[in-house]
Amino acid sequence: MSTTATQPTRAMEPKEFKSDLKPIWCPGCGDFGVLQALYRALASVGRPPHEIAFVSGIGCSSRIPGYTTAYGFNSVHGRALPIAQGIKIANPDLLVVVAGGDGDGFSIGGGHLPHAVRRNVDLTYLVMDNQIYGLTKGQLSPTSPRGLHTITSGYGSMEDPVNPLLYVLAYGAGFVAQGTPAEMPGLTAVIEEALRFPGFAFVNVQSPCVTFGEEEQQLRAHKTHMKSLAALGHDPADRLRAMALASDYGRELYTGVFYRNPEPGPTYDALVRRRQADLSPGAVPRERVLDRFRQDGGR
Amino acid sequence: MATPKLDLSRLSLKDALDLATLIEEEAHERYLELADQMDKHRTPGAAQFFRFMAENEAKHGAALSAQRRARFGDAPRDVTRAMLFDVEAPEYDAARAFMTAREALGVALRCEEKAYAFFAEALAYVNDPQVKTLFDELGAEEVSHQDMVRRELAHLPPGEERNGEAFVDDPNPQ
Amino acid sequence: MRGDLVFGMAGSGGDGIVSAGESLIAAAAAEGYHAVMTKSFGSQIRGGESSCRVRVSTKEVLNPGGALDVAVALNWDDFLKFGAELPVSGATVVLYDAKTGVPPDKLPLVGVTPKEALAVPFADLAREHAGTERAKSSVILGLIAAYFEVAREALLQGMRRKLAKKGEAVVESAERAFAAGEGWAAAHPLREPMPLAQPAAPVPAKLLTDGNEICAAAAIFAGCRFFGGYPITPSTEIMQFLSREIWKYGGAVLQAEDEIAGIGAAVGASFAGTKAMTATSGPGMSLKSEIMGLATIAELPLVVVNVQRGGPSTGMPTKPEQADLFQAAFSAHGDAVRPVLAPTSVADTFWTTVQAFNIAERYQTPVVLLSDQEIAQRKETIEPIDTSTLAVEERRRPGESEVQDYVRFRTTASGVSPLSEPGMPGGNYLASGIEHNERGAPTASGAVHARMNEKRIGKLEPLKRRRDLFRVFGSDGAPLGLVSWGSSAGVCREALTIAQGMGLRAKLLVPYLVYPVAEEMYREFFASVRAGLVVEQSHQGQLYRVLRMFLDLPKGVRSFAKSGANPFLPAEVAEHLHTAALALQREAEDAREPQE
Repeated sequence: MSTTATQPTRAMEPKEFKSDLKPIWCPGCGDFGVLQALYRALASVGRPPHEIAFVSGIGCSSRIPGYTTAYGFNSVHGRALPIAQGIKIANPDLLVVVAGGDGDGFSIGGGHLPHAVRRNVDLTYLVMDNQIYGLTKGQLSPTSPRGLHTITSGYGSMEDPVNPLLYVLAYGAGFVAQGTPAEMPGLTAVIEEALRFPGFAFVNVQSPCVTFGEEEQQLRAHKTHMKSLAALGHDPADRLRAMALASDYGRELYTGVFYRNPEPGPTYDALVRRRQADLSPGAVPRERVLDRFRQDGGR
Repeated sequence: MATPKLDLSRLSLKDALDLATLIEEEAHERYLELADQMDKHRTPGAAQFFRFMAENEAKHGAALSAQRRARFGDAPRDVTRAMLFDVEAPEYDAARAFMTAREALGVALRCEEKAYAFFAEALAYVNDPQVKTLFDELGAEEVSHQDMVRRELAHLPPGEERNGEAFVDDPNPQ
Repeated sequence: MRGDLVFGMAGSGGDGIVSAGESLIAAAAAEGYHAVMTKSFGSQIRGGESSCRVRVSTKEVLNPGGALDVAVALNWDDFLKFGAELPVSGATVVLYDAKTGVPPDKLPLVGVTPKEALAVPFADLAREHAGTERAKSSVILGLIAAYFEVAREALLQGMRRKLAKKGEAVVESAERAFAAGEGWAAAHPLREPMPLAQPAAPVPAKLLTDGNEICAAAAIFAGCRFFGGYPITPSTEIMQFLSREIWKYGGAVLQAEDEIAGIGAAVGASFAGTKAMTATSGPGMSLKSEIMGLATIAELPLVVVNVQRGGPSTGMPTKPEQADLFQAAFSAHGDAVRPVLAPTSVADTFWTTVQAFNIAERYQTPVVLLSDQEIAQRKETIEPIDTSTLAVEERRRPGESEVQDYVRFRTTASGVSPLSEPGMPGGNYLASGIEHNERGAPTASGAVHARMNEKRIGKLEPLKRRRDLFRVFGSDGAPLGLVSWGSSAGVCREALTIAQGMGLRAKLLVPYLVYPVAEEMYREFFASVRAGLVVEQSHQGQLYRVLRMFLDLPKGVRSFAKSGANPFLPAEVAEHLHTAALALQREAEDAREPQE
């Protein structure tokens, strides 16, 4: 089904991934750093832009595909993951990247998350987590901490936030990492690893909102609080330990790889290809597809 | 590997010139990006200054590039952009909508300071004497850039701008 | 000799009533008859009340028919639950289980005395000859074969084939039960024999299938290689068929986590260059609305099948209705116009589905295919279809020169811009739900938006001139007109024949394209029409209302609409048309009478 000419990868320049569209993000937005890290990671991986499909939902961070030269699909709120899976299944040769915010991914999109993870279609999901709904002017988000005062929680949020890292780990993802633009080399590295990982790969980026976020959420604060998982001696093959560390989401900002499955199984798209290959000898020419309905034994 | 390690101890003069050029290039591109952001957010004072800085970085980069070509012609580079992050380039976090020219200058000043610090600290690891000389020179240049920025600062009307944000419109939901 | 018989059978799920009906229609098809079978059941998964109708004819069958010629009731409680779906008249022969203990002259049929009623010991015969009461269905088949001279050999062969995997013993006991039925019929002949005529020779081989399966087969033929969907009655069979077959053609089926993910994945596959489809019923269409709008603004081809069922909300999952037309045409927010096609029978579902794909690909738009539960789940014999006459269209991809500075939404004369896909060098673009300019960059400009609306809606204009998407039956300049769509159209075709037999000059328009409204086609049809009916199964008469939105109908054209699960009968439609004709005559008389 795929007719992509997969040329051998070559060393590429980050600027080959930069489109002419100027970002509308507020100056100081964490997403600029994510974009820069993504350019670098894509350059390192070496797939040309025309072989990349970049899908997003709705939100400030979901504007990101338009700022790259890849084939972009800025779709509707919360539905990037199903669309991306359809793309990858239809053409497994493409490099498929999905991006969105914490609201897009864990609120309206939350129902798609467990299935995308367990299906294990080979794609990379980047969430720019800023604990707020920036695009619509500062409402509560599913990762906002309890008690946060926002324009829709003027008396303080009465809910506990979701824990994106723990959920994605619990759903069974083979690669889970977190980064921050406050530490660009590390962010670039985990994005690149995620792109290369064969299967569903998740990177949560603490990407603060400079307009609606709190002072202590900004990048300067990240620099003081962030802790490197590698420096803590964490072994990314230890899934349970990863989940224990992920439980500290909201209190600690761990950067690096929480979990990387040392023996990833076949991806969904690989299984699709295998099934197509196995069953194709049984295909009746499509002009004769109606033969099976004959009543004179002509089946 | 997205961020291959830069081994300062093995840096040759060619590498050092390339490194310095890349540092300027990164800064040049970043100042242009910030200038674009300032344009989009109708902050002309800072935009103008960032463009001025972008031009300066381009000039410095061109000078280093010329030096490199003169000595090493078109020999392939062993140092890549992937090895460095925001050495002299301002971090994205440094920019803000409606920032004043004074604040923009402050950003540039801090960048020149951190660039100076980079070369100064690198000296401790560098082995090649020609590279040491180059890094000394570059460090000195960064100091002179700082002076330039301070002079620009002095041209600004006196007094800190206060309460500017109080008069801007509320953000618009999209 | 009768050319057409309508059998209606009812019992409970455990009686194998539907199996019997399936065997009957399969046998009829094998012998070269035309036939249609519908089934109806209660809400239990199994074991509830269960019924089927099988209409067997030597001529083309256009609809399940009116009153039953033969009613088989294994118990009266269950039979009566089906009310108007199994209408008994004075011409019906009723065969019912003697076990019910009801005397033939005391049948619980209100206001109707059937032509003949026989108490048949189905249960006893089954137990005696096959060792189990459950073999009643085989007794019924033997009885039918004998009384009505229908497809005896084919029935036996079919029975053997069907039960073969259950073992020789079962096959033999079924054969004995069948023979017992035949024997009982021989011993108790009908007062008025009612044999069915033989089909005309030579007997062409027929296909037998239902609307869902043929829709899926057509999708494969048309090049569909991705299906994303979710189980929902009465459309699930489409996904099931494709989940068996599509891999063989290099395609894939994704049973997604919900309706939205199903259509989302299909849109993704289309973006990736693959012909894609989703299928659902009313509730799923509601969920899919947003992404259909996304496909409209992103100008991506997509086929969305809605097998309509009773609504609103959960409604009646196992009953047909034609009340999703408003939704199909108008559920999108914004000025989103998408083509809506509707097949009228199992046979033309194949062609209509292929057209849906061709239109989706040519115009880069989602296309709604509005089937309904009756068409989708009824079995129908079909003449073999010559697929070599059916063209399959591909989307217009950009050529070499067009990917030098590719402009995705470039203005063209037709409004259709070449469509690239990931993997194509130079074709990189941003697809989005946000309004965009020619290059795909987000915009909020009123001028650009107006141009884009014009492009997206204007590109569909040629559809309104597609004569092949409209069929007209009857005399050209007739003053009486019928308009009908979907499963009601088949009833109206028969009604037309009845009306013409009554001496009425009438014609029928069947639109396969129900939206956008092809004003000219309707104006042409209505030019001669003074009175008529728009016949459809919805409380509001949705097509009638949509037509009135876009054109002026002749004063005498009324809506004849019923809520779903209240099927139209051909005679009933003909009667209404007759009434309209009489009203016209009176009008003409009044006009001639001098004023008093």
